[in-house]
Amino acid sequence: MRSRTSRVGAVAALAATGLLLGACAQASDSASSSSSSSASSSSSAPAVSSVGSSAGSETASAGSGSASSGSGSASAGSSSSGSSAAAGMPSPTPMSGGTKPLIAIVSKGFQHQFWQAVKAGADSEAAKLGVTITFEGPPTEADVEIQIDELTQAIAKKPAAIGFAALDSKAAAPLMQQAKDQNIPVIAFDSGVDSDIPLTTAATDNKAAAAEAAKHMSEALGGKGKVALVVHDQTSASGTQRRDGFVEWMKANAPGIQLLEPQYGGGDQAKSADIAKSIIAANPDIKGIYGSNEGSAIGVVKGVTESGVKGITVIGFDSGQAQIDAINSGVMLGAITQNPVGIGEQTVAAAVAALEGQTLPKVIDTGFYWYDKSNINDPKIQAVLYK
Amino acid sequence: MSVPLDAPTGRSAAGAATATNLLEVVGVSKGFPGVKALQDMHLTLRPGEVLALVGENGAGKSTLMKLLSGIYQPDGGEFFFEGGPFTPTDPKHAQESGISIIHQEFNLMPDLTVAQNIFIGREPRSGGFFLSDRALNRKAGELLRRLELPLDPRQLVGTLTVAKQQMVEIAKALSYDARVLIMDEPTAALNDAEVATLHSLIRRFVTPQTGVIYISHKMDELKAISDRITVIRDGRYVDTLDTATSTMGDVISRMVGREIDTDARPENVRPDRPVLLSVEGLSTRTLLKDVSFELREGEILGLAGLMGAGRTEVARALVGADAVTAGTVRLRGEPVSVRTPADAAALGIGYLSEDRKQFGLLLSQTVNANIGLSSLGDRFSSAGFVKDRPMRAASREYVESLRIRTPSINQTAKNLSGGNQQKVVISKWLLKDCDILIFDEPTRGIDVGAKEEIYRLLNRLAEEGKSIIMISSELPEVLRMSHRIVVMSEGRVTGELSAAEADQESVMHLATLRPDENPEDAAELGIQLPVEKDHA
Amino acid sequence: MSTATAPVATTAEKRTDIRGRLQQLLAFGGLIVIVVFFAVANENFRTFSNFTAILFSTVVIGVLAVGTTFVIITGGIDLSIGTGMTLCAVMSGTFLINWNLPLGLGLVLTVLVGGLIGFVNGCSVAFLKLPPFIATLAMMLIAQGLALVISGSAPIYFSALPVFSKISTGEIIPRVPNAVLVLVVLAVLAAILLNRTLFGRYTFSIGSNEEATALSGINVRKWKVLIYTVAGLFTGIAGIMISARLGSAQPATGQGYELQAIAAVVIGGTSLTGGKGSIVGTIIGALIISVLNNGLRIMSIPQEWQNVILGLVILGAVYADMARKRTA
Repeated sequence: MRSRTSRVGAVAALAATGLLLGACAQASDSASSSSSSSASSSSSAPAVSSVGSSAGSETASAGSGSASSGSGSASAGSSSSGSSAAAGMPSPTPMSGGTKPLIAIVSKGFQHQFWQAVKAGADSEAAKLGVTITFEGPPTEADVEIQIDELTQAIAKKPAAIGFAALDSKAAAPLMQQAKDQNIPVIAFDSGVDSDIPLTTAATDNKAAAAEAAKHMSEALGGKGKVALVVHDQTSASGTQRRDGFVEWMKANAPGIQLLEPQYGGGDQAKSADIAKSIIAANPDIKGIYGSNEGSAIGVVKGVTESGVKGITVIGFDSGQAQIDAINSGVMLGAITQNPVGIGEQTVAAAVAALEGQTLPKVIDTGFYWYDKSNINDPKIQAVLYK
Repeated sequence: MSVPLDAPTGRSAAGAATATNLLEVVGVSKGFPGVKALQDMHLTLRPGEVLALVGENGAGKSTLMKLLSGIYQPDGGEFFFEGGPFTPTDPKHAQESGISIIHQEFNLMPDLTVAQNIFIGREPRSGGFFLSDRALNRKAGELLRRLELPLDPRQLVGTLTVAKQQMVEIAKALSYDARVLIMDEPTAALNDAEVATLHSLIRRFVTPQTGVIYISHKMDELKAISDRITVIRDGRYVDTLDTATSTMGDVISRMVGREIDTDARPENVRPDRPVLLSVEGLSTRTLLKDVSFELREGEILGLAGLMGAGRTEVARALVGADAVTAGTVRLRGEPVSVRTPADAAALGIGYLSEDRKQFGLLLSQTVNANIGLSSLGDRFSSAGFVKDRPMRAASREYVESLRIRTPSINQTAKNLSGGNQQKVVISKWLLKDCDILIFDEPTRGIDVGAKEEIYRLLNRLAEEGKSIIMISSELPEVLRMSHRIVVMSEGRVTGELSAAEADQESVMHLATLRPDENPEDAAELGIQLPVEKDHA
Repeated sequence: MSTATAPVATTAEKRTDIRGRLQQLLAFGGLIVIVVFFAVANENFRTFSNFTAILFSTVVIGVLAVGTTFVIITGGIDLSIGTGMTLCAVMSGTFLINWNLPLGLGLVLTVLVGGLIGFVNGCSVAFLKLPPFIATLAMMLIAQGLALVISGSAPIYFSALPVFSKISTGEIIPRVPNAVLVLVVLAVLAAILLNRTLFGRYTFSIGSNEEATALSGINVRKWKVLIYTVAGLFTGIAGIMISARLGSAQPATGQGYELQAIAAVVIGGTSLTGGKGSIVGTIIGALIISVLNNGLRIMSIPQEWQNVILGLVILGAVYADMARKRTA
């Protein structure tokens, strides 16, 4: 746990840098009202803070040494590529030896509950397999450039392997090549990377999952009525797949269902709620609304509740406490959950398997589940729900 | 603490030895890097008196006030207040101890009412939490009645005149049970009637337990209100005079350390000098009505009038800062259209605002940037690039020839004293090489010595053939400087006097005509009043 | 009204000059301290390729920040630069891919679109007298919407025009991405514009005292429109740089970039109240942000803490700067 304490030290030292800068300025301010002397005294501020920082830096460099030493074992796995699409799961054995290999994971988001669940899965698998991980993601799923920077720096860390969920595959292509050149195996997760370089992709089949949601919607409505879609965005793969999977199933299997034009709320709860309310206002005969991710689904629940209209069937996607509550209270019929914990686990497991030289399947389906009031407390479901 | 030989008279004066002085400043010093702002300062305020404090700009008056209110801490020396040592820590402490300072720039919130302003920070509460407007207004009402101030506690301060805002400041100060009231240039923006009201208020305030320190440049006011006059110069105590037994010459000679030579009144400009600027029927939506006058080459035209007569508005309209609804402006006989200050500057008309900080200076920029501002575009640039070397040389030249006291042309303008800031603004327009310069209150807030320099400068400019419009509220200044005087009242020109015919009485007579209210005045001026007024 | 001899620079003059320089050195010193700290702390930080990576990641924010420095010095603010950049990126895709225009023409048109955005901002501020915050907030939304409309909400890929990416990722100087050169050149141009031209002088004058500047005979409205237009031109260049880097024009990106650019400007010592600022400071500010981002990631500091530290640094830097100015 040495590297962990060194990180804490570095954080503390850097936080102190900011505070010290301020404190020194304060000191120079009150010490003298002279313009000339203030310039010289406040110039001492960074110097003082560097003293504070250097304490943390020594221990921190020790931690980074451990990360780099793991990279030697990476070369074995990177040459082999997945040969079949068979759904065989990787089964790595725990890593042994003095230093733990570092797996740098760059996801599509960070503070969102879903990505935190992926992180939790990755963390637990890493502990189990004896590797260390870092987990980062841009503030929103539109921040392609920030993700590119994060991936650049992940490669600069010289990790043993990289887990990556691309916001834009083409933008990431040169970096993929760079990782390949440095013999760092790359495991794609969530919505894959459009490239030959990743050894495998651990992801949900979003189209199939959305079709499952459509099936439950149709069943609940008896195969007829107006249904609206509140989708999180129209540019990402997950947004389009979850829209198209739902729409296509309905067109093929439920001729009595009249679909309204999909609306996009950016996954923002408040915006999605407003969209849901305006749909209800415009279509008093609306029978069902589908929200395509957590933010959209919670927004739909809010919108339906606030509008006060009864008898609208709401189906959501992903989980989170608000959706779980809505299902328990009956406002929401049910939802599709991906298996974010599983995505995290499979990503790390695949990376370790690659390090051990195992052959990986092209796609690892991490699965999805339909859950509603009847099975929400089922331990199998509880395990994949995040709050 | 040694007492210098020329220490204040308070201690040695017969009878005063036993009486406790209300406020004493003993040997106080305060330095800033490169400047000794105060050195061994002495001052004695006796109970029941109004002590005038005079000194040129930069003499140390503001520093002394800031020390007394605890904004600065002295490097040495002591204060005594009501007999005991007094070390103010901050303005609130000073105020609560009984020393209130009314600054030239008011500390009032225009969007709050009179009562809210007076009791800000001390609002009466009901139930310990909620504000009680009723109690607040009642308290303020009582205070205002006691002080005989004609103010409504509920009125918004922003809607009051400057004089009434000052009353609010005074009421606020006195609500703290102040025993010492320090007023910095309290009459700078007041008209004569308002000054009289202020003075009677001060007299009512002074009791055997209280005293007033009155800082002013205006000598006639000192005569009217003060008991004694303390003169300081260059951060040092100079002398204290009994007002009754001393002349203004005594005071001024101590302030400047030399006698002032009063120039002779100027001769009229010969009428054969060509008319440079002629203004006909200038009107604006709010104030100006049918303003007409001419300005000859090499002439200093005084624009006189009471506060609100429209003099500044004429200047702003002439340079295109305010919109004009009617009127023709001719420059060398040719009608010109001035819609923006840029048009005016291009025609060679420069305006030096009365409010330097708001309209004249770039406070956060260097002296060099300020001096060059107007002429950068046409004289010190080529293809959009600034020619720095000649620009800086020109700035240095003006700093030297106008004797602007600044360590360098890279000094930030806000660090200069008022007089030097004014010189920077003047330099800006001189460098622009304008033919017509409009000076609005050119010597406001400027010390006596610097005033003389600016007067000489104006005369020199006129001799060089520049035409000057000088707006001034100080009648002696207008009379002394102007070749010709145009007098305004209520947005109209009420008369024009040559230097020979003008004196205080004749100017004041014209300045107080009210043609729009008084038909006799209108008749005297031959003004045809609008028809609907005739019916009324 | 002139004396015979022109006095030369005094020693006091030089002293005040030096003091001004020293204040810029202060921010630079802060940057050096941070760099040294990370270099000592982590061997992966102190590699040449990582330094170019830092510079590379500074480019887009840096270009935006340099452009918006002018606006901020006037005491204004431009919130539209983030999504304005996105709109320009989308327009570059429209010009070059959808319309198949020649590369040079497409680039010029893209930059002009940025200029147009700035021009509209400038007119709103100077002629309609809208507060800059509101005027550019409106433009931020307009640009964001237009970017989605024009692109059909889908990224435009430059796969058909590989040379386009070379603007950003090519290496005229070996191992230094062209994007870095672009930033350096733009920063130098901007510094000349700010310090050596009327445009720059009037930018400071307006920020220092708009009314006094107008009364000094300067056409403040004209210059304000120009200043916002110049900021817009930089937005256009930033749009090219980001789409060249990503090989695609992403219509949903860009929001939040304006705040990062403003943060860089502010860390660099430019006052939000106007009248003070420098391009060097802005570049240093942008570098401080990207060095912190890079270093903290390389040291595997948890992401939660990265933002906390960045926030503290902004607080500390701006406070130190203000304290310095109070005493100056």
